[in-house]
Amino acid sequence: MKDNTLPLEGIRVGDFSWVWAGPFACMLLAMLGAEVIKVEGHKRTDLMRHSVIWPLADPAPANVPPNQGLAFNSVNMNKKSLTLDLSKPEGALLAKQLAAKCDIVIDNMRAGAMERVGLGYEALRKLRPDIIVLSSGSRGKEGPERDFPGYATIHNAIGGVAYVTGYPDDAPSTTVGDTDLMNATTAAFILLAALHHRMQTGEGQFIDYSQCEGVTSLAGEMALGYQMTGRIPERMGNAHPYYAPHNVYRCWGVDRWLALEIHSDIEFAALARVIGKPELAQGRRFKTMRARKRNERVLDRIIEEWTRQRDRDWMVNEFCQAGLAAAPSRDWQDIYADPHLRARDAFIKVQHPEIGPLELVGVPWKMSDYTPPPNRAPLLGEHNDYVLRRILGLTEQQVKELREKDVIN
Amino acid sequence: MAGVALAGIKVVEYTTMVAGPYCGKLLADLGADVIKVEPPEGDPARAFGPFPDDKPHPEKSALFLYNNTSKRGITLNLKTAEGKELFTRLIQWADALIDNYPPGHLASIGFNDEVIQKLNPRLIHTSITPYGRTGPRAQVKGDELTLAHASGLGNLLPVRSVDTNRAPVKPGGFQIAYQSALNAAVVTMAALIGRGKTGKGRIIDVSMQEAIMGLLRPGIASSRYQRATWSRVPDRPPAMGRMKTSDGYLVLGAVEDNHFRILREMMGNPPWMAGDQWLNMAYRSHHLMDIAPMMDAWMEKQNMKEISEKLAKQGVPIGPINSIKDVMENKQYAFRHYFTEVEHPATGKYKYPGWPYLMTASPPQVSRPAPLLGQHNEEVICRELNYSREGYRQLRKSGAFRKIQR
Repeated sequence: MKDNTLPLEGIRVGDFSWVWAGPFACMLLAMLGAEVIKVEGHKRTDLMRHSVIWPLADPAPANVPPNQGLAFNSVNMNKKSLTLDLSKPEGALLAKQLAAKCDIVIDNMRAGAMERVGLGYEALRKLRPDIIVLSSGSRGKEGPERDFPGYATIHNAIGGVAYVTGYPDDAPSTTVGDTDLMNATTAAFILLAALHHRMQTGEGQFIDYSQCEGVTSLAGEMALGYQMTGRIPERMGNAHPYYAPHNVYRCWGVDRWLALEIHSDIEFAALARVIGKPELAQGRRFKTMRARKRNERVLDRIIEEWTRQRDRDWMVNEFCQAGLAAAPSRDWQDIYADPHLRARDAFIKVQHPEIGPLELVGVPWKMSDYTPPPNRAPLLGEHNDYVLRRILGLTEQQVKELREKDVIN
Repeated sequence: MAGVALAGIKVVEYTTMVAGPYCGKLLADLGADVIKVEPPEGDPARAFGPFPDDKPHPEKSALFLYNNTSKRGITLNLKTAEGKELFTRLIQWADALIDNYPPGHLASIGFNDEVIQKLNPRLIHTSITPYGRTGPRAQVKGDELTLAHASGLGNLLPVRSVDTNRAPVKPGGFQIAYQSALNAAVVTMAALIGRGKTGKGRIIDVSMQEAIMGLLRPGIASSRYQRATWSRVPDRPPAMGRMKTSDGYLVLGAVEDNHFRILREMMGNPPWMAGDQWLNMAYRSHHLMDIAPMMDAWMEKQNMKEISEKLAKQGVPIGPINSIKDVMENKQYAFRHYFTEVEHPATGKYKYPGWPYLMTASPPQVSRPAPLLGQHNEEVICRELNYSREGYRQLRKSGAFRKIQR
């Protein structure tokens, strides 16, 4: 048996999505071996091709060339790129022909947009009865709010998680765009489940995905808890309903912090030893979890007196050596330097023809007989010839004509 | 027909709390046959709550009930020879094993990778651990708080903090564990699909830290290559972000020029933002701070849900920061029948969050409520592992299913 057989080899995905949520879902499938063909108009490219992540020295960089946006390069690895002007009849026809050769088609356009160019599920199903189509929208395809637009932070807010993030005496906080990639992960999962269903039964289907609901599905205990107690779950900062200490503590330096969570009396005794106050674990004030929770503020002050005079990474190391759950509150520049992540090959090295060597965050799994494909995101239209000639069987002359008509670039 | 997409897939779940159990729930609600193995004292999530009327009860924990729907549950004392024998047979029975015990735990009770692989060479074994099974930090403990901060998410929160003397915070709830579960489910499904070609099992090592880093990939790359310094106190971006209203908060994302024009009209075209230059995104990104206080003052007079709906109807990206109560009252969710009623023998009926995916051919469903502790011991042992009734009775006497009395 060949080593490194990627599990999804032989599966083809037509990726009509853009920005973050749809593209990352397809990237997950690509990293598992599917052939993903990303379809963009060469005049209406994925916005992320030109996008950097705010903030920058120049807050509005106007001229990022289409292959150099790092956001794009982070969420489109190991794909192929086809440019097609879907507003032209030739472009729409080719898109349909391509879709018919795909096992999975995914889009995250506004409700009705795929139908308008003839790429709706009903149309595609006529061409290929067992096709799986996933349409990923802000609120879903039907219903009173189906046309409401949204971004990651808005979905995080509507879905109920932003409300519980932050300090109890301050404003709630959305997260930072990660909600899109979380929804992408859910979408990739359900596509694989649908693919399994098709392999068993031959039956394709349409999946109507709501990104707001994707957030709420990760807050199930809150919905049940609200019904059980009549109380709305509120923000808790870094605190925990039962455990203490459980907080983020100031370290030596400017805006340096470490996180520490203690889950048992034994762990607390170890903590007390590390900070040179073993007697804390003996006295009535902090001996039991319940007592510590009751006296949490005093305890946090005692711990911070110790941490604020010491180096963050040294302390994290001491705590971890003592068997405790501790971690630095890492900023993003920190992450590349971490020896643990280095030892795990958490990054994928790619050579980008316009940018040069890049190291990008890889996939969060290791698997036996698997090496993540080391391929970068595609340049705009990089695989036009491959897709049009090898997959769709066009001649060189036909491709040339498409170029002349400005259907492709 | 419902809950059939994964019919025929057999899963043993040896998991606690959220990361492992939610992975199993994703599969179980789609029809996989998931058997959850708990220690005799039960999954710690049973002690976690919230509970009806705040009275702790091992069969009434919201956290446990939500994350264990559609599964059967058995208890096994894996310190006994009989318990180990039953676990062995379950491994042989299964297509997939999901575990989220710390690295080395399974090996310490006699089930290292080689043993498991020999027992069932076709098995997909997915292990979810805080920092992964390898590397210098493999043995370090980690949970929601430390992993949120270790992965680079916590440091950015709360967004737009006014006070840097306050520590950054974790996201609310169990976001780290849920996201890890999703990744585990993706890679487990892919491995199951790929297994058809070779018949060969796999060992999968999912790192919770890396699952969260994976969500931050665009920002992490930009931080490194564009030398941007991110913090939880950035200037106000071109999109307005969180704003305060008279009765709560919302998130406004009037990024594009036409969104901003609609917003301006809604505000009654005030003179301080009347010029055409305000309809230019690049101009706004440099000057928005000049008018932010006036915009904030206007927004503070609005009603959270009304203004959100008014602007959204005109195509402006906006959303209220909903409490879970608001979410449960949302009309769009109701239209899609998102919440699903589940009756559980110990708690009665509650509305459970459903699934963000509507499927035409193989929709998910809760086929049964979360199992009572040891509810399916006899059923699983006799029906799936083919023990006789008498064999089961002897196992029960041996202590395979319960704590050994000292």
